[in-house]
Amino acid sequence: MTAFIEAIGMVATAEVLIAILVSAVYGMVIGALPGLTATMATALLVPVTFYLSPIAAVATIITSSAMAIFSGDIPGCLMRIPGTPASAAYTDEAYALTRKGRAEEALGASLWFSAIGGIVGTVALMAIAPALAEVALSFSSFEYFWLSFLGLMCATLVARSSPIKAVAAALLGLLVACVGIENPGGVPRFTFGMTDLLGGIEALPALVGVFAVSEVMRAMTTGGPPPIPHRRLGSILAGQWALTRRYQKQMWRGNVIGVLIGALPGAGADMAAWVAYATSKRFSAEKEKFGTGHPEGLVESGAANNSALAGGWVPALLFGIPGDTITAIAIGVLYMKGLNPGPTLFTEKASSMYALYIVFLLANLLMIPLGIAMIRASRHVLRAPRAAAMPLILLLCAVGAFAIGNNPFAIVIVAVFGIVGYMMERNGYPVAALVLGIVMGTMVEQNFVTSLIKSDGDILPFFERPVSSLLAALTIAALAWPALVWILRRLRRAEPAR
Amino acid sequence: MHLSDRVTGLFLALLGALAFWGGSRLPAVPGQDVGPAAFPMVIGAGLVLCGTLIALGIGRSFEAAEPEEQQPSRGLATHLGPVAAFIPPALLIFYVLVAETLGFLPTAAIILLVTALALGASARLAIGVALLGPPFVHLVFYKLLRVPLPAGLLPAPW
Repeated sequence: MTAFIEAIGMVATAEVLIAILVSAVYGMVIGALPGLTATMATALLVPVTFYLSPIAAVATIITSSAMAIFSGDIPGCLMRIPGTPASAAYTDEAYALTRKGRAEEALGASLWFSAIGGIVGTVALMAIAPALAEVALSFSSFEYFWLSFLGLMCATLVARSSPIKAVAAALLGLLVACVGIENPGGVPRFTFGMTDLLGGIEALPALVGVFAVSEVMRAMTTGGPPPIPHRRLGSILAGQWALTRRYQKQMWRGNVIGVLIGALPGAGADMAAWVAYATSKRFSAEKEKFGTGHPEGLVESGAANNSALAGGWVPALLFGIPGDTITAIAIGVLYMKGLNPGPTLFTEKASSMYALYIVFLLANLLMIPLGIAMIRASRHVLRAPRAAAMPLILLLCAVGAFAIGNNPFAIVIVAVFGIVGYMMERNGYPVAALVLGIVMGTMVEQNFVTSLIKSDGDILPFFERPVSSLLAALTIAALAWPALVWILRRLRRAEPAR
Repeated sequence: MHLSDRVTGLFLALLGALAFWGGSRLPAVPGQDVGPAAFPMVIGAGLVLCGTLIALGIGRSFEAAEPEEQQPSRGLATHLGPVAAFIPPALLIFYVLVAETLGFLPTAAIILLVTALALGASARLAIGVALLGPPFVHLVFYKLLRVPLPAGLLPAPW
C-alpha cells in the first residue's frame, strides 16, 4: 500500500502530468496522419525521453502510443486510409459505416472501445505481470535461453509472410547484435577496424531508421492521400452504451485476444486487430453483414488493438523481450533510465511499476475527451500536406539520432537501417522479426553461451529443468509448425493429381 | 525497389557464409570451449540455410499477394522512379558530411527543401518549410534539450 501511495506521488508531479498531456496530443496527431505509425511516434520521442525523469519518459511512450493507435482509426473512417497499420483490419468496415451516413457511430465506437481496450489491457498487465514475476525469479540461463529463442520463433510464426523469410530476418537482426566487443570473449567482432562500431550497433538509431526513415522512403514512391471530404459530425459518444451492451461478448473476446497477442513477442496491435476482426466474423450470427458497415467487428478489433498495447509490456517488463515494436523501443529507454527489465523490477521498484499502471489508466481516460477534440479537428489536421510533414520527420530522425549520444555516426546507422527496413518490406521480409533480433541478440547469446559453459558443451541440460523442457518443446513446435503446414499442403495438392 | 527472391536469398546466404567464416577466425577464450565464435557461426549457418531455401522459392506459398508498385502523382520523385526512395538516406549521409562545416541551419534547410520538392510540394510550400523548419528544430533541440548542434557558417542568434 505504501508503494501505491508512493506511486501516486510519482505520477502527480507537474513534469509527469505535462509529459502525459503533450505526448497525448502528439500521439493523436501522428497517429491520424496516414503513413506515420505509432511505432514511428515512439521512435521520434526517444531523444526527448533523455531529458525526462524515468516515469515521465515511460509515460510519454505509453501515452503517445495509446493515442496514436486510436487516432489511426480517424482517417480510416473518413477517407478509407488507415492512419496506422493497426487500423487496417477494419478500415473498410468503418468507411462503409461512414458511407451509410453513420460516421459518428464508427468514430465513436473506435474511441469508446479503444479506451475500454486500453483499460482492460492495463488491468490484465497489473494482474499477470507480478504473478509471472514470482515464477520468473527462479529462472536460470537455460529458461532464459529458451524463452528468448521462443520469442524469436513466435515473431516468425505470426508474421504475415513466408516463415523462412521471417526466420532469416530474425537471424539478420541477431547478426547485427553480434557487432562490437560486448561478447563472451570481449574481442572486437565484425567491427572492420572502425572505432565507432566497437560499442556495437545501437538499437535505438537502428529502430529510428527501420521505422521512420523507411516510411519517408516509401512516401517517395507512393502517391499521397486524396483530399478529405467535408462532413458535419453529430454527437460522438451517443449510442455507444447501447453498442457496449449489445456486443459485450465481442468486446471481452477482443480484449482477451488483444492482451494475448500483444504479449506474444513481435506481434502487436496490428496483428491483434486482424485476428480479432477475423474471430468476430467467424463467430458472428450475422456474418453476411460484415464489410457492409456493421459495428460488430469494429467493437472487437477496436478493443483488441488497444489492449494489445498493454499486453506488449508484459514480456518487455518481465524479461526484456519486446511484445511489439513499440516496446522494442521502450526497452532501450527503460535501460537508459535505470529501470532494467527483469522480474526483480516488480519487487525492488514496485512503486515505479504502480506508477506505470496509473499512467496507463490516466492515458486511456484522457483518450476520450482528447479523442473527441481530435475527431472534431480532424478535417484541419488531415489537410496537413504530406510534403511538409515528411521532410520534418527526416530532419528529426537525423537530429534525434545525433542527440542519443552526440555522435554523428548514429545518423549513418539511421540511414543504413532506413535502407535495410525499406528493402526488407518491399521484398516480403517482416521488419518486426529483424527488430526483435537486434533488441534480443545480446540476451540470446549471453544465455546461450552461459548455458553451454555451465553444461560443459553438453546439450542435455538444456532440457532437464521442468520449465526449460516445456519452453524447449514449445520452441521446437513453433519451429516445426510451418514445415508441417507446408508438407500437409503438398500432400493435399498431390492427392487430386493421383 | 523490388528484387526477386533469388537475389535476396543468395545475398543472405552469402552474408551468412561470411559471418560463419568471420566468426570462425575470432580468437577463443583460453580454457573455454565456447567463446565469441560460437554465436556468429550458428547464425551464419542459419542464414546460409534460410537464404538457400528462399532462393529456391520454398515457403513462397505463405506470402500474401505483393502490393502493386505505385507511382507518385507529381514531384521530383516521378522523374527518378524507384531510385527516388533512396533520396532520404542520401540526405542523411549528406548531413553527416557537411553539417560540421556548413552548420546546422543551412544543412537542415537544404534537406527540407530537397525532400519537400521530391514529394511534390509547390515551390512556395517547400521554401516555407525550409525556412521555418530549421530554426524551430534548432530551438527545441539546442535550447530545450541542450543537444550540441553544429553552428558552422551560420550560427543561430540564440
